[in-house]
Amino acid sequence: MSRERILRELQVLLVGGQVAELVSNGREFVIYRDVPTGGARLSLPSATDVIVPVPSGYPASPIDGAGLSVDSPFLPKVKGGPNSQGIVAVEGINWQLASYHPHGNGGGPPWDQVKHGFHTYFDHLISWLENIT
Amino acid sequence: MKREKRIIVRLADPEFSQLKTLLFSRYPYDEWATFARFGWRDTKQALVLTLAALDPPSNGDLDESVGHVKITEPYTLGRALASETHSLAVGIIHSHPRECAPRPSPIDDDMDKYYSTYFGDFAKDRPYVSLILSIVRDQLVASGRVFWKGRWLLVNRFVAETYAVETWIGGYAPKPPENANRGRVARFTSAFGAEASERLRQATVAVIGAGGTGSMAIEVLARAGVGRLIIVDPDHLSESNLERVHGSQPDQVNKGTPKVIVARQHVRAINETCKVEAYLGALPQPEVLDAVITADVALGCTDQQHSRLSLSDLSFRYLIPSIDCGVMLEGENGKITGQVLQLVRFLAADPCALCREMVFPHRISEELMSPEEREFRQAEAEAAKNRGEDPNPYWQGIPQLNTVGYLTGIAGAMAAAYAIGWITGRFSPPFSRTQMNLIAEYFDVQDIPANARELCSCRRAHGHADQGQIDALISAPSHWPRAKLLSEM
Repeated sequence: MSRERILRELQVLLVGGQVAELVSNGREFVIYRDVPTGGARLSLPSATDVIVPVPSGYPASPIDGAGLSVDSPFLPKVKGGPNSQGIVAVEGINWQLASYHPHGNGGGPPWDQVKHGFHTYFDHLISWLENIT
Repeated sequence: MKREKRIIVRLADPEFSQLKTLLFSRYPYDEWATFARFGWRDTKQALVLTLAALDPPSNGDLDESVGHVKITEPYTLGRALASETHSLAVGIIHSHPRECAPRPSPIDDDMDKYYSTYFGDFAKDRPYVSLILSIVRDQLVASGRVFWKGRWLLVNRFVAETYAVETWIGGYAPKPPENANRGRVARFTSAFGAEASERLRQATVAVIGAGGTGSMAIEVLARAGVGRLIIVDPDHLSESNLERVHGSQPDQVNKGTPKVIVARQHVRAINETCKVEAYLGALPQPEVLDAVITADVALGCTDQQHSRLSLSDLSFRYLIPSIDCGVMLEGENGKITGQVLQLVRFLAADPCALCREMVFPHRISEELMSPEEREFRQAEAEAAKNRGEDPNPYWQGIPQLNTVGYLTGIAGAMAAAYAIGWITGRFSPPFSRTQMNLIAEYFDVQDIPANARELCSCRRAHGHADQGQIDALISAPSHWPRAKLLSEM
């Protein structure tokens, strides 16, 4: 994992007002705090925390997937949410990873480590949580 | 007795060419100088410094009215203040007149004593570097010293990418070459010259991958008299390797012998004076990196894209000239349609593997996944297929390339040849990335040029070594077992 690079990317987000942290349970993740959602129209929270695994070999490997706490009301409503990709325990919370692949033919551009990172992945997460059904 | 840390200084173009032009601009009698910035990596065995940038003098920064180097205070202060805006080490590089040894004079001693303290106040916890270059008997010679952690350390070795630079430790000429084993390379020496043979004897080559191509490269280098080989491979010999791994024997398959041990035993049998460091591991693991950055040249001999990307990363951040080689046997059911080999040159100024579009993120991702994740994703891909969905987001599959021993042998031997050319300073690869097809007319030789992308790390972190970690193209997966240096039985 390229810790320095990830921290720089999270710093870019922070400048824009978005808090995100690099955490570990033996495997590394980024937790985005209070990501805005489109939940208001469905009487759901307007923000939620999201976890994203740091891929092995980052930044050579694309960022892939996203997770919500197992009791999140958004899980059944987000793209790939019902298709669990495993449950991880991080910081005392059980997170369920969803089948969400924006850089793997999932609506986003192909991964380009020169342009993309955890800062740009945030844009995908906003879309993911906006387009709930 | 505690062994003194080795100090290695790595130089590469375009800075190295600029440096020579600048330093020898008042030759043959007068000196000149420039401040410079260096990346570095501090390991247990060595402190490796890499020239990242020159900060040449402007008009009036050096006193042109004197033959020796006289630096004005504004030039010094400017570089000191600038050091607070970057994380690189600072140093001064100057020339001595032609035919004068690069031995520090009393003036140089005073200068270094003053600067090591002065820059220590601005660029804290960074080495201070002082290098001297000269031309003696038409040979570029260099010496240097580094103030690091409260001590002065002499530079033991200069590695200048594809140029042959003679290192004068402490400013003293190296001892004349030994004559042992010269009979072995008599025919090589008659063409290349005795000094080329000596350079090989003092050189280190890192070979990443000890399979078909790597084992051939190792054999060629050991027979040519290369002094030290760093061999890296995480795998153990399997039966299908016997067709192409030089030095391999069936009983080693039964014993599950690591490929690096097969290679080391083979080198021993060929040339017992060649030192071998055998690493069970892969790039970019830190233990492997520590060793590889001490090499004069690195050869990439794996069919793994992450290895290719790592090698490319080393070439621009640590200034390690590299050749990557690969082969592909095309065809099936007895019909052979192509026998292709590829050689790629990675010099510090060359476009990286990303810019050359030689690697694909999803392929690398799958190579680097843990076995559990791989298994899970393959099952998910199968399930997606059964649902009538696209399986590719889960798993695209790593194609198993067909290969054959004579192809890997040719590619490995060619890579070794160019390593020898660089080390001896006698020739360089006449291509940036070449492919040839053994069964096409005139081999259908092609050079595949590419340009670096403006925003790529390879343009930004040139020579930044560990200080350019933020621009690393790849990191070692945490699930990989720690790399091990395998000791002699």
